[in-house]
Amino acid sequence: MLRTFFRSSTPLTLRRISASPVAARSASTFIGRQSFTPMRFYSAGAAKLDKDEVTRRVIDVIKAFGKSNAAATITPTTLFNKDLGLDSLDTVELLVAVEEEFDIEIPDKIADELKSVAETVDYITSNADAN
Amino acid sequence: MPATPSRLQVLSLYKQFIRNSNQFNNFNFREYFLRISREKFKENAPIQDKEKVAKLYEAAQRDLGVLKRQKLISQMYTFDKLVVESAKDQGDSRS
Repeated sequence: MLRTFFRSSTPLTLRRISASPVAARSASTFIGRQSFTPMRFYSAGAAKLDKDEVTRRVIDVIKAFGKSNAAATITPTTLFNKDLGLDSLDTVELLVAVEEEFDIEIPDKIADELKSVAETVDYITSNADAN
Repeated sequence: MPATPSRLQVLSLYKQFIRNSNQFNNFNFREYFLRISREKFKENAPIQDKEKVAKLYEAAQRDLGVLKRQKLISQMYTFDKLVVESAKDQGDSRS
């Protein structure tokens, strides 16, 4: 629709400033260029999150969480309930912290199935809204 | 008799408690509600009696309503950060 507008408005503009041929030419090039201006959308896909970066941030969240047995080194294979000693309530709380870090909302059913660092990282990288 | 909530429902309720408590502006209220939510859920976690669980679930849902309202009110009236909070932030930025 925008393009049609430019197309129909071009001759009008040219007619109005046709007194000076130089001005008319510059105006037409200006309008011509503008109609090809690439548009950007708010919903344009953001750069995909790097998996290593996500892993690092998830591990940071777990470390900051405090309740876990932070003495144990956290790797992607770390299990929430076995290695970190978290019960189901603690896991929910940890996932709320993760949600806040990445600005997402993990649906309850999926959250219940996330049991390790790697699974959480996989979910975040597959979620387009995460940032 | 009210229906017994499933495991997932209880966890979802707990999640909402934590999330809403986290959104309190006032440090004291925020920490209080986080603490009380954790304590109550932990305390009642081993209860197996279905009728009791259902009753607690209903009561908790009413409490969640109160919590949500109070959270919104708390967000309408903001105060300066407490000394403990700013000290905490500085500690975070230094580390």
